[in-house]
Amino acid sequence: MNAPTDKGVERLAALQGMGESRLRKEDARFIQGKGHYVDDIQLPGQLHMDIVRSPLAHARIKSIDKSAALAMPGVHAVLTANDLKPLKLHWMPTLAGDVAAVLADEKVHFQMQEVAIVIADDRYIAADAAEAVIVDYEELPVVIDPYEALKPEAPVLREDLAGKTSGAHGAREHHNHIFTWTAGDADATAQAFATAPVTVSQHMFYPRVHPCPLETCGCVASFDPIRGELTTYITSQAPHVVRTVVSMLSGIPESKVRIISPDIGGGFGNKVGVYPGYVCAIVASIVLGKPVKWVEDRIENISTTAFARDYHMDGELAATPDGKITALRVKVVADHGAFDACADPTKFPAGLFHICTGSYDIAAAHCEVKGVYTNKAPGGVAYRCSFRVTEAVYLIERMIDVLAQKLGLDKAVIREKNFIRKEQFPYTSAFGFEYDSGDYHTAMKQVLDKAGYPALRAEQAARRADPNATHLMGIGLCTFTEVVGAGPSKMCDILGVGMFDSCEIRIHPTGSAIARMGTITQGQGHQTTYAQIIATELGIGSEVIQVEEGDTSTAPYGLGTYGSRSTPVAGAAIALAARKIHAKARKIAAHLLEVGEADLDWEIDRFNVKGDASRFKTMKDIAWAAYNNLPAGMEPGLEAVHYYDPPNFTYPFGIYLCVLDIDRATGETQVRRFIALDDCGTRINPMIIEGQIHGGLTEGFAVAMGQQMPFDAQGNLLGNTLMDYFLPTAVETPKWETDHTVTPSPHHPIGAKGVAESPHVGSIPCFANAVIDAFSHTGVTDLTMPFTSYRVWQQLKAHGLALEV
Amino acid sequence: MEVSLDKRYPVAASPAQAWTVLRDVRAVAGCMPGAAITEQLDDTHYKGNVKVKVGPATAAFAGDIEVLSLDEATQRLNLLGKGADRAGSTAAMDLVATVEPGETPGTSVLVGQAKVTVNGKFAQFGGRMMVQVSDMILQQFADNFSATAAAQPVPEAEVAAAQPLPEAETVAAQPVTEPKAA
Repeated sequence: MNAPTDKGVERLAALQGMGESRLRKEDARFIQGKGHYVDDIQLPGQLHMDIVRSPLAHARIKSIDKSAALAMPGVHAVLTANDLKPLKLHWMPTLAGDVAAVLADEKVHFQMQEVAIVIADDRYIAADAAEAVIVDYEELPVVIDPYEALKPEAPVLREDLAGKTSGAHGAREHHNHIFTWTAGDADATAQAFATAPVTVSQHMFYPRVHPCPLETCGCVASFDPIRGELTTYITSQAPHVVRTVVSMLSGIPESKVRIISPDIGGGFGNKVGVYPGYVCAIVASIVLGKPVKWVEDRIENISTTAFARDYHMDGELAATPDGKITALRVKVVADHGAFDACADPTKFPAGLFHICTGSYDIAAAHCEVKGVYTNKAPGGVAYRCSFRVTEAVYLIERMIDVLAQKLGLDKAVIREKNFIRKEQFPYTSAFGFEYDSGDYHTAMKQVLDKAGYPALRAEQAARRADPNATHLMGIGLCTFTEVVGAGPSKMCDILGVGMFDSCEIRIHPTGSAIARMGTITQGQGHQTTYAQIIATELGIGSEVIQVEEGDTSTAPYGLGTYGSRSTPVAGAAIALAARKIHAKARKIAAHLLEVGEADLDWEIDRFNVKGDASRFKTMKDIAWAAYNNLPAGMEPGLEAVHYYDPPNFTYPFGIYLCVLDIDRATGETQVRRFIALDDCGTRINPMIIEGQIHGGLTEGFAVAMGQQMPFDAQGNLLGNTLMDYFLPTAVETPKWETDHTVTPSPHHPIGAKGVAESPHVGSIPCFANAVIDAFSHTGVTDLTMPFTSYRVWQQLKAHGLALEV
Repeated sequence: MEVSLDKRYPVAASPAQAWTVLRDVRAVAGCMPGAAITEQLDDTHYKGNVKVKVGPATAAFAGDIEVLSLDEATQRLNLLGKGADRAGSTAAMDLVATVEPGETPGTSVLVGQAKVTVNGKFAQFGGRMMVQVSDMILQQFADNFSATAAAQPVPEAEVAAAQPLPEAETVAAQPVTEPKAA
């Protein structure tokens, strides 16, 4: 390739390709309030659905009286499980191999479970009629604690599974047990622990939280009885998977089901699943022959659609006296709620939790995850992370701090001592993951230098020595490795469909283009960044590349956007589809310039004849020729489709450091500095990366400092409104300092690894480690999130650190 | 959400007067702010409703009341109330109430132990204020109860046994009930 001339530099800039901080194409409509969301869809004759929900967490339904509701003017139908039974739609399969009630069948299993639906002329009538449905319940004993659920005398929660001694993931050992999943080498790990000079163990709880996207879930289902076609607008992160599920459930051929995900106001995992509300709206539309809209309110969203986490974890590390870790052992009791509705790849009921050896070279490891039913809403999705990676990173990053405290080692030093070294990549972990690339030591040094780490520790020591200090100081580190880009279809599938993703690109005669993908943007900026990849690959300006996603009738099949998979999987599909076009374009250019293909050089946006840059054809010239002047025998047109099945996951990493001060009188925590260094491989749009990191850090801050779904003993969810559920605003959010290194993925076509979830995954343990570090001199090794002022103040009191005011 | 209450309220009426009120479920309901008995099914079963506001949550519970026991000898009432609000809340109360003699003649003490369970929206929204609001409602109940009891005719046996009450005092007890009736 010729060195770009001055003119080349201009042409390169004009492309707005990879590496440019191209402004987001989505923002023009979003900041003007011109986004088009599900609730903006208004179809002629559209009816509205509302849901009758259970106030009780566990009860038998004695009777449902819908006569008063049906008598109300404007009410079209009231449906219960008994009405869905003849269609065999009162239960539905979950992505995790279990079944979930669409409408409560004889029993309710969690508070606010769907019991009946009302279809009416408008939303208000539907809501009033929902209140007129009288349900008579007989209360049953409620089980909220998963450890209690596993006791022999615990009430049977899932009577529908009576006598089933095995589930989708092996044997069931108890009536409330779902699965036990293990990974690693139990014997080698036991051996390492038996001979280890030092061991530590720690129990920790990662509370139940909710992704809480600003837009709640909803759909508009429209069945055309004449054509037998079903169109559903839906807030889905995976529209193609929804189409497959809907076709399987309804029996309507997949070719007559069209799923459209319009603009989505945030997903974060909450919009992966297929919820009872969707199924009910679709059934209602089929039954009534009219479009039916259902949109959740906030309370319904937080209470019933997929939660995240709820992991009770026991970690153990074995080490040498100087802090070299030799083994990791983990036991988890996972509270999955009433139905196992996790959205993980089929073979991994605990997702990719076994990435829990983290960034460290640990020879032996074993983990066991036990899934348990309780009287809580189902879900267990990844909240801005790849399949339980947040829990895994929390575990190992907390454990390494526990070990450092036991050995009296510095928390940075112990990490550097155990990091996988740069020359060890590709590195195979004790759990069998093959880490593609990384350079942890360089990144660590960059962060510690930026923070002035030794001075911070000295300040902390001085603060501790002063009994009158008004504030405790905590320094938290989190040096994480993620596993994203699920995934290689030999390992990963959803409902039997491999977790590939896809791209179709068409170049129009005048040189502009349209690209369609199987993913769906929910704030990630795909319309901006995907065009940049194509611009760089094909020499077509980003501005004339339209990116479309979310309509299953036009987009190629893909598994959707979650688990940071868009760039690692669809991004690769885009590059490879573009390269197919590039190869054809070269043939056309050779034909037009009457030279051999080998005599051409590619330069930014054109093919030059080798040695004579004055003879060239631009991609625009080639696009025109593709429709009128082709080599003999060549098919007209310039387009390509690529389905990309990744050979491996990608492994982004980051080094985060948090300094915070805790007011000893009030328990208030002030984040003084937060440095986030991320390495996501090749960077496509630095501005968008920065924005994603800010968003992820802010959500991490929310989880660590305030988000929680507390339940009382009767199963009431005390915290399902935004009065209680913490969403940080600019007022609470700390200032973020971002940094980066670039270690491309060697197996990805453009070396990109994915980034949007790293800041969430990495920041939560970083905040936790910082708060616990502030208490560590008193022997505290663990505290449970969220670190609200009141809870921190209670800890100050408990450890004799509180200052009286 | 479950709240256990254990309360003692002074009553400005004799034990016999107080018991007259307590043994009458309709009268007891009449003392509860926002509550009413709507139907008597048999000797021990009633239907009723109660409206309550706790913080941002308002509920109109309609339900059943069952008198589990009514012991004249010990002046002890045990009743169970269970109700549901159409907007998605349920409530239950297991109440044991007894009348004990007061420290001074002509007074008594209403002793109550109650286990109140609320579920659904009422618990979700109002949970953190349940104890305070329960205290407030019960205080109002006790005030009404005391006034109602004081308005009861003094049983003859008691009149004979007790010192005659000064006129003024009996009269003074009356006005308390009047604003309620107004």
